[in-house]
Amino acid sequence: MFTPITALIAIIALSIVLIAILIIHPSVTATRGGKILAFVAILILPIVSGGFGVSEHLQRSKTTEFCLSCHVMEDYGKSLHIDDKSFIPAVHYQNGLVPREQACFTCHTDYTMYGDFNAKLRGLKHVYVQYLGKPAQPIKLYQPYNNRECLHCHQNSRSYLENETHTKEPDRLEKMKTNQLSCSTTDCHNIVHRVDQLKDQTFWKEAGK
Amino acid sequence: MTTTATKLEKRLRVAGSLVALGLLVELTTLHWSHPTAFLFFLLLGGTLMGLGILLYLYSLVAGGESKA
Repeated sequence: MFTPITALIAIIALSIVLIAILIIHPSVTATRGGKILAFVAILILPIVSGGFGVSEHLQRSKTTEFCLSCHVMEDYGKSLHIDDKSFIPAVHYQNGLVPREQACFTCHTDYTMYGDFNAKLRGLKHVYVQYLGKPAQPIKLYQPYNNRECLHCHQNSRSYLENETHTKEPDRLEKMKTNQLSCSTTDCHNIVHRVDQLKDQTFWKEAGK
Repeated sequence: MTTTATKLEKRLRVAGSLVALGLLVELTTLHWSHPTAFLFFLLLGGTLMGLGILLYLYSLVAGGESKA
């Protein structure tokens, strides 16, 4: 099946073959056709493959597999399989409320790569700590969880807008929208990963895994 | 009779080698879904390809048709 990754590998392979020709017979560049070959092989194709490569890696960085590829995130991956409906990430993951392939990114859209400049720097620091340092225990968010991460899906849903608790006060919805009232740090939806409680949990076994 | 490569041809060989190495690094990182793969791609692969491309562009403007 011809996928973007297949196309990228083909471009890279073609580029390498053409460059090999130039390395073995650099005298071909004496001709007009050889000059064009060199231009395409050394400039155009590498830039195109580099661009596609960056795009591919950026797409991969949104995947659950990518996030959980670091050992320190292992327990967070396990927490998605907790067999308890009160655990918000688990409920979202197990019921397909977030795409399983991008479960982490869907709820943490401003983390490292996808955050501001400081967040990106923190991402680099995480790689450094992963190999040369000691990850913080427990891991904590650098900033309070932004309600935007909940509202980008829930904001227009009837169950959210008409919920009795959400409409208890006339301005409660507006307060949640403006982060004056947190979805997760109040007593309402504060059961999230709880990796320190994993040993006491039972886990849902995902089909095929 | 041996033919000595011109300066331009030597530069093209080096430039091509650098770019090819960068592409091989890129190809390798595509088989690995991990933050380190992305960093290798950008830092190592990108640097090699960048250097190769810059050397190629330099060889275009520098000329260097004299025999080495």
